[in-house]
Amino acid sequence: MTEKREPLKNDPFQVQKALKTRLTRRELMKYAGVGAGAVSLGAFLAACGGDDSGSSGSTSSENIYAGSPNGKVNFANWPLYIDKGFIKQINGRGSPSLYAYQKASGTEVNYQEVIQDNASFFGRIQPQLSAGQPTGWDIIVITNGRELTALIANGWLEELDTTARPNFDANALSFAVDPPFDVGNKYSMCWQSGVTGIVTNKDLTGGEILTSWEDLRNPKYKSQIGMLKAEALDAAMVAQGVDPEISTPDDWRNAATWLQEQQDAGVIRNYYEQGYIDEVIAGNLAGCQAWSGDVLYYKLWEDYDNLEFVVPDEGGLLWIDNMLIPKGAENPVDAMAIMDYYYTPRVATDVAEWVMYMSPVDGVQELMAQDAKDAYAKGWDGYAKKLEDSANEPMLFPDQAMLDGLFNFRNLTTDEERQEWDAIFEPIIQ
Amino acid sequence: MATVVGGGAPKKRSIAGRRRKVAYGLLAPGGIYLFAILLLPLAIMIFTSLKTGGLLSGGFRFEFPGDWSNYVDGLVTYKSHFLRSITYAGIATFGAIVLAYPMVYWIAFHGGKWKGSLLLLVLLPFFVSYVVRTVQWKWILADNGLFLGTLKDFGVLPEDFKVLATPLAVVAGLTYDFIPFAALPLFVSLDRISGSLIEAAEDLFATPFTAFRKVVFPLSLPGVFAALILSFVPMAGDYVNPEILGGPNTQMIGNIIQYKFLVSADYPLGSALSVILMIGMVILASVYAKILGAEEASNMAAA
Repeated sequence: MTEKREPLKNDPFQVQKALKTRLTRRELMKYAGVGAGAVSLGAFLAACGGDDSGSSGSTSSENIYAGSPNGKVNFANWPLYIDKGFIKQINGRGSPSLYAYQKASGTEVNYQEVIQDNASFFGRIQPQLSAGQPTGWDIIVITNGRELTALIANGWLEELDTTARPNFDANALSFAVDPPFDVGNKYSMCWQSGVTGIVTNKDLTGGEILTSWEDLRNPKYKSQIGMLKAEALDAAMVAQGVDPEISTPDDWRNAATWLQEQQDAGVIRNYYEQGYIDEVIAGNLAGCQAWSGDVLYYKLWEDYDNLEFVVPDEGGLLWIDNMLIPKGAENPVDAMAIMDYYYTPRVATDVAEWVMYMSPVDGVQELMAQDAKDAYAKGWDGYAKKLEDSANEPMLFPDQAMLDGLFNFRNLTTDEERQEWDAIFEPIIQ
Repeated sequence: MATVVGGGAPKKRSIAGRRRKVAYGLLAPGGIYLFAILLLPLAIMIFTSLKTGGLLSGGFRFEFPGDWSNYVDGLVTYKSHFLRSITYAGIATFGAIVLAYPMVYWIAFHGGKWKGSLLLLVLLPFFVSYVVRTVQWKWILADNGLFLGTLKDFGVLPEDFKVLATPLAVVAGLTYDFIPFAALPLFVSLDRISGSLIEAAEDLFATPFTAFRKVVFPLSLPGVFAALILSFVPMAGDYVNPEILGGPNTQMIGNIIQYKFLVSADYPLGSALSVILMIGMVILASVYAKILGAEEASNMAAA
């Protein structure tokens, strides 16, 4: 429309780029020294006092969704977690789905890949939240776990507008609806999800595939097994036939014993936060507790045929990365709109084809299969084959039987529980 | 300057005043900088270490006069990690000095006109981030990688031999990373020693070894002590080497602090551990300085 007359000025992506530069600088000033350098003095003093005016002061029932959209939204997400590609109109790389959204709605989306892991990002926004100040973000993406629990418990999230998400209501898959940590999806909507299971490097096992958690204790694999720091205890409970979600401290102690025996058997190479997949590829790990998407990416798109990912016999773990609106967000209406936009099957397919995690949206599998056919028709055989494999990959599109075999993590809801958990668990992994 | 301003007593005073102003002016940028990025965060850290409460019950709170239990808990729970840090750093410091000493000795006394270039070569790895270098070691030392894989293929090493994920890997990594820290002060102290002193010793019928033992080494001691401090202190707080090269039982106190801040979000305990580590290092440094004479120590450290 107007874009034709003044292409530069009105191109949302150009506007976004300009905005990005400005925000990057603001961000720098704000976050430069975690907690020290730059948070405004008020926030700093409040944070020092540990007083949580944020949660107590803002219980007002004022409806933040009453206003009209502001035409912009600040979206914080993890790296490589959205579709990317060449966009003709701007003659550069970007996210086609975001670009299409900006074109259609006129909203400036400031999309930043600033979340490297839950804990450190939480550490960055926590001073503002506890001081009752806006974080600068309208959407953040956090995995279910300690940080999410703390965000909800302290009242640091805005309740979502449940009347303004028609696509979510129509298309969300069962695992994304009413997750145990947020019944009714009052605060959260799944961005992507995944399974924690086991990866095997068949080169090191002589072709054998590790199919149970118990296999990760086989003394044959001396110093060739890895576990995930944040999830090992839950996995050990599943290995013992305990549902982590309803586990008791006694179960935790038994699981800790399981892990200690595993370590004493000499199979553990290390406990990982990230980076385990490099060790698997380098041939240092024969088997490791792993996230589905990491393995699928290398297996399906980088041709690592020696890798195999399985949901263990005893069961796997399901985790969900959630879109949330932090307290004090300045553009909640815009945020709701874009969150719902990603529940459109076509858009969700574009994202899924790129990130290789479980999409929470119904109909993605069919669309991906169709895309594969289209690609064959165009003669892009290599790409089409990969799309076809992906569309047939049960880890991307789990059936009900597989979902039934997945457990949820233990949600630690009080400080006492957390302390007890840490006291049982930390001596083993440290 | 005086000639420009002219003579006379009142003028003199103003020169002194101006000099003082200049001195303060020169001091200010560094002073403000240090205050902002060292003292202020330090104060916040100490403050945080005295807080109680939990994240799920409204955040951590400070209640006068502060809660010292974090310090006691930290020391008791993580005693073995403190000990491990000191042991690893001690061995690695010794290793770095033993490796660096002969090398810089040769450069200082036999480097001739190449001295500068040779020293630069020693420092060259320093220009690449040490995290990157440590990650490279992981690839080089991979169980079936370039080095070990080849040796295993030739049957020199048993199949299940490994270096990574052992204490040896961590200590070796630390040693390698901090050799430049040891080399520089050693070089400065050795370079100061005049060759004529050695000649004099030999004129007095000292064997080369005696000359080294009685003349060169004692004169280079300040450099050795500076190398000790400069490499031991950062080594003891390191968490990169155990994280990248280590295994389940090689975690140092730096890893615990990192874990407390970035995984379990227990900021008070993490801060308390940091303060304990820092106090330990300050005590250590003062003991060195005492043995050595404070002025000499800081001279060498500055060099």
